[in-house]
Parts: sequence; structure tokens; C-alpha cells
Amino acid sequence: MSRLLNLSHKMITTTATARLQMFSNHVNASASSSHTLPSGSKFTLDYKVYYRDPVTGKPGSWFHDVPLGLDKVGRTVSMVVEIPRWSNAKMEITTKLPLNPITQDTKKGKLRFIHNIYPHHGYIHNYGAIPQTWEDTTEVHPDVGGLKGDNDPVDICDLGKSVGKLGDIVKIKVLGSLALIDDGELDWKVIGINVADPMVSKLNDIQDVEKYMPGVLSSTRNWFRDYKIPAGKGANEFAFDGEYRNVQETIKVIEETHESWKKLMQHKVSGKGLPKVINTKVSGTPGFKNSVKQEELGIKPEEDDGAVPREVSEIYYLS
Amino acid sequence: MVYSVHQIGAKNTLEYKTYIAKDGKVVSPFHDIPLYADESKKILNMIVEIPRWTNAKMEICKEQTLNPIIQDTKKGKLRFVRNCFPHHGYIHNYGAFPQTWEDPNTAHPETKANGDDDPLDVCEIGETVGYTGQVKQVKVLGIMALLDEGETDWKVIVIDVNDPLAPKLNDIEDVERHLPGLLRATNEWFRIYKIPDGKPENQFAFTGECKNKKYAEEIIAECNESWNKLIGGKIEPKEIQLTNTTLANTESYSAEAAFAVPPADPKQDAPIDASIDKWFFISGASA
Repeated sequence: MSRLLNLSHKMITTTATARLQMFSNHVNASASSSHTLPSGSKFTLDYKVYYRDPVTGKPGSWFHDVPLGLDKVGRTVSMVVEIPRWSNAKMEITTKLPLNPITQDTKKGKLRFIHNIYPHHGYIHNYGAIPQTWEDTTEVHPDVGGLKGDNDPVDICDLGKSVGKLGDIVKIKVLGSLALIDDGELDWKVIGINVADPMVSKLNDIQDVEKYMPGVLSSTRNWFRDYKIPAGKGANEFAFDGEYRNVQETIKVIEETHESWKKLMQHKVSGKGLPKVINTKVSGTPGFKNSVKQEELGIKPEEDDGAVPREVSEIYYLS
Repeated sequence: MVYSVHQIGAKNTLEYKTYIAKDGKVVSPFHDIPLYADESKKILNMIVEIPRWTNAKMEICKEQTLNPIIQDTKKGKLRFVRNCFPHHGYIHNYGAFPQTWEDPNTAHPETKANGDDDPLDVCEIGETVGYTGQVKQVKVLGIMALLDEGETDWKVIVIDVNDPLAPKLNDIEDVERHLPGLLRATNEWFRIYKIPDGKPENQFAFTGECKNKKYAEEIIAECNESWNKLIGGKIEPKEIQLTNTTLANTESYSAEAAFAVPPADPKQDAPIDASIDKWFFISGASA
């Protein structure tokens, strides 16, 4: 028995060393880019990353001040990267705070990390949002099962080979979309690829994805179906029987949600818990301000990352 | 008895070496660390070379004195395994059993292929991500017979004895029950992982079936016996360095060798080229 105890003590010593090492790797990796304005430590409750205007250096909103960038001919749109591929922290543009910084989502006061669904490691794509779009939660969509939107910007997955960074603003070629129903709300997942990726010229519509990246569409659908099961929720469902929408149908969704965003900004919608509309670029809207001072936002110095709980590396096997 | 890593240089560089020290003194992970942590309880020591979800092909170097873990190279360049969708790097904590050797001079009667001249490979399927140079205590669950470029390259499936699932996993059929899909994914991964490097698909003996615990224990005993012959001078070691700091009755014993190793000098990891993040899509292989 004493031998066994000895063994476990040894494990504890060595695990602590490993954790330190992983920790230092992480700090090393998180250099901020010119258009991000971080505040506090990553993986803590008060962590916020604001958009920073690259010209004036002033804080802005990812949601409202980054242009949609929709090019209907080239079929491209802007993406704000919230969650880099293979990571677990559920980072997202906060609709509830002025200037909509990216923060880590919480559940019952605890930081939210998505679980690893075997054989996947964290998110399987670079994941983020399309700026200046909004899934209207005040109206039902008659063509999508009479559902209301989820009150967030439209989500987008980048299939490109490079791992993105939180706060990257990238140009994405739109390929299709999936109409997820998350807790009874419509939650579009647009599928696209970074225009800088070498595969981009081969991929023009959703069927090309299956041709050149076999398995990726079914894995993506299964992942979105299952990713909340380890947290004790049921499987998610999809509108359109889980069929992917093609590029034209998806461009239409982006245009419609951009129109919804315009209505939001003009206060033409009403309801509880609507997103904060303060912005620094969309002149003529009630939320427009010439500038917001950093002091008003309570920006703190950027500090070393907080420790990621050990259980985040656990894997869930769903039968 | 506390093992620790004795790192020299930065990961992802040609200079990187990780020795393993026992109670502060450098030992060989190939020869000095005992195969059994507790033979009566069937608890084995495993050396972690490649942590789960990483790409750098780290391995115990047979040819250097005291066998440090270094990153494998191909034509002078650091070797990284590629990401075959939907997998990210290695899917398990990957490593080797100390005091084992797959003898290249003899063919296994069932696989009819010779050994690959390396320590026996191990996949640890527990929930915690390990680290290079970690000495884990594990229990054996089963074994797969990969035929890697014509050589037998056994992959023993084990779980860390401290993992919460360890009490429930006692043989190979328990793996499928509690970790559905894991064995199929492991089989797929080893078949395809060299395809992005332009090599053909690997084959498995026994039509890919994972053999049970008893079979695995026999292979481990055989490989331990082969290592015994090697360290006992009964087989020509060729390039293999047999120097050790604890096995006083072997000819290659040298307590002083531990002091010839340069002091630990770990450096910040070097960046990994972004091209290593690329995903490869292998037709017909994905889950």
C-alpha cells in the first residue's frame, strides 16, 4: 500500500511540472494584434478584448464597427475569430456590454469550456461571427420552422488550414450553411474558407467541400448536434432536416440578417435583452458616439493567462 | 523514487534533448527504468514520448548514451506527424515500455514480420494530457499488430492507473464498452498517418483486430526477454547504446555516465511552423 501512495505522490509532482510548462507555452502564444484591445487575464471572469480601430487606436465594437464586407460577386464576407481551432474556451462577442467586447461565456458563474467530443479536440474549425449581422429574436422566420433568432451575430466556421487567433478579422469565401436549432432558437452556422487558403480556388459551393475535404461536413454536423451533451443537455436539432444550404441560399441569409442588424441599430425592434448598440462608426444611428474613452470601459492591463482547469483536457465518448 | 525530466535546449529544435532523472540522477529510459512498477499488481512503467494532440515525433534515441528523448528527423529536418481529419496530432499519449525491445533478428510466428528494432510502443488512453519524459504507471488492456513498412510494430493499449476509468477497464472489450469508437479510430489513425508524407497506407496483422490483455502480456514478456538478451550481451547491439547507470551486473553499466550528461538547461519552446497545422483529408478514411 505504501508503495502505491508513493507512486501517486510522484504523479502529483510531475503533473505540476507539466502544467507549468503548458502554461508558459500558452502565455508565449497569446500575442495581441494591432486591432485588439485586451483587458485582464485570459481564462478569468473579467477578461475582455475590445476591437481597436487600427487607425485611431480608439476602442470600437466587433459587432457594429467592423464592416460586413459582403461581396456578392466574389461571395466573400468578414469574420471576427472568437475561438481558434482546437481550443475549448467559449469566447464570444458579448451583446450585453457596451462596445461588445469578446469575453468568455459563463454558466452559473463559471467559465465555460466546451468539451472534447471524441475524436475531436475542442472546436474543429476556426469559429467566429459575421459582423453587422443579427439573428432577430423578436420575429419568427416562417421559412425556417417558425423559429426566432438567437439574438447574436451570425456564426461562421472557417475550414482553412491555418489556426486563427482570437480577434483576427479575416475575409472568408462563403460556401454554405447549416440551420442549427439551439435550445429552440435559430442559430445559423455559415461554412466558409479563408480567402488566403490554398484550397480556396477549388471550393465554390457546398458540394465541393465534400469532394475536397471528405468527411468534414458530416463531422461538423455531428459536432454541432452533440457538443452540449457532455454538459448534460440533449442533442441539438437542425432545420431543413440537417441538409446544408448552398452558397446562394447562404448569401441570402447573410443579407437578411444584415437587414435585421440595421433595424436593431435604428431601434426599429423592441424586446427584452436586446444587444447594446453603442458604436463608433455607424453614424446616424441612436447608439453612435464619436469616441468612447478607454477609462469609461475600465480597461485593465493585459496580464498572464489564468490557469485552465485540468478537466478541460478530458475526452467525452458518446455512444 | 521520483522521476523528473532533465531537459536541454528548446523543443522543436535539433538541439532539444530530454533525459530522465531518478532521484536527481540521470538514467536511461530504455534500460534503467524498470518495466514493472509493481509486478504483483501488474502495474507497468511507461515513458511518455508524445503527448496527446501534439505533432512533434519525439522518441527515445537508441543511439545516444543514456537514450535521451529527441525529435526524430527526416533528411535533417524535424519530423512532425500530420493532422489527418478529424484528428489533431497523436490521438493518445504515446510512448514506450522501458526494458523492452522488438528484436529485428526474429520474425513473430503469427505476424511473420521481424521486429522494428525499437522499444515496444504504448498508447495510453486516459483523460489527462501527459508530457514528454513523463513516467506513468499504467495497466495493460490489449495490443494491435501494426505492420509498419513491413516490420512488426506492436502498439500496446494501456490506461494510467490513476485515471478515473481505470478501475472499469480490465481487458480490451471494456475499452469498446466505455470508450466507444476509440479502437476503430486508433486503427484508422495508424493506417493513414504516413499517407500525407507520400507513403502507402500501413497494414495491420490479424485483420486489424485488437488482441486482448493476455495476448498483450505475452508480447510484453517476449520483448522484455529480447531486451534481457540485448543488455546481457547475447545479441549484437549494432548501433544501440546500452550504457546504463543502475544495472551493476551488466557490462554496459557505468555510474559515471550520469555525470557526463550536461546540466539541465531547458529553453522556451521554439515556434512550430504554421504549415504543421494543416489538415489532410484522406478519402474513405474519415469517421
